[in-house]
Amino acid sequence: MLLLSALAGIAVVFALGVLLSKDNFYSALYMAATLVFVATVYAFFNLQPVFVLILFVFVGAIGIVTVALAATYRSDPERQVSRLWAVPVAITAFFVSIAIATYCYSALNLQPVSSSAIEFELMNFIPLTEYMLIVVFLISLMVLLLLSVLKMSVGGRS
Amino acid sequence: MVAMDIISVSIIYVAAFAILLIGYLAAISSKDVIRLLISLEMMFGAIFMALIPLFSVAHLANTAFGIALVTIFASSGELLILICAITILDRQKKDIHTSAITIGGDEL
Repeated sequence: MLLLSALAGIAVVFALGVLLSKDNFYSALYMAATLVFVATVYAFFNLQPVFVLILFVFVGAIGIVTVALAATYRSDPERQVSRLWAVPVAITAFFVSIAIATYCYSALNLQPVSSSAIEFELMNFIPLTEYMLIVVFLISLMVLLLLSVLKMSVGGRS
Repeated sequence: MVAMDIISVSIIYVAAFAILLIGYLAAISSKDVIRLLISLEMMFGAIFMALIPLFSVAHLANTAFGIALVTIFASSGELLILICAITILDRQKKDIHTSAITIGGDEL
């Protein structure tokens, strides 16, 4: 319960960072961190296939492209906070991380998860015919999306 | 299927709603299309989070996995289209601010 609250709370805090940051690059980084913590909630409930999908497809592909795009179209905002604030922030982060680590290893007595503990229980989640239907649907979707991109670029050129 | 009590479900829904609201606020306050793209990804993240309680219902676990699979790929495709649109907008207008977009829709 506490761990779930912490994960959800950290995701919301990173989402607030997206809203409050004026630099698109940092906003994109905060957004990627938010999505990582959303995926971690899936891992918390032992839904590893969805965790991997979100992390690889959504964060790994789309999120990184967004971060790269934000870094390309980056404008330098005026600094509103003094650099000296980095010192108390680093000290606070150090003590908070020490406290969390101590709590995890002593109070909860967590054991490291071995690779054999991860079980993919959702492997055969639908019959083969429906699986093929979904694959055809996704391929059709991608073709339609690529066609719309082609139309946009041809329309823009003319 | 995952075991989930009502408090866990409440925490997940509250966090998902908060992220969705922050995404809406970021979209409303965005002055360029990059921030719009970021806010859209945040909204999709909130949707993914709201899907988690579906996995706790025994006869809906497989359906929830199917929904999550389709949602992840469909939203990724939509965002790829938006990224392409941003690059095309920059090529045409030499500007990525939302004020540069004056009209929507398309002609048949």
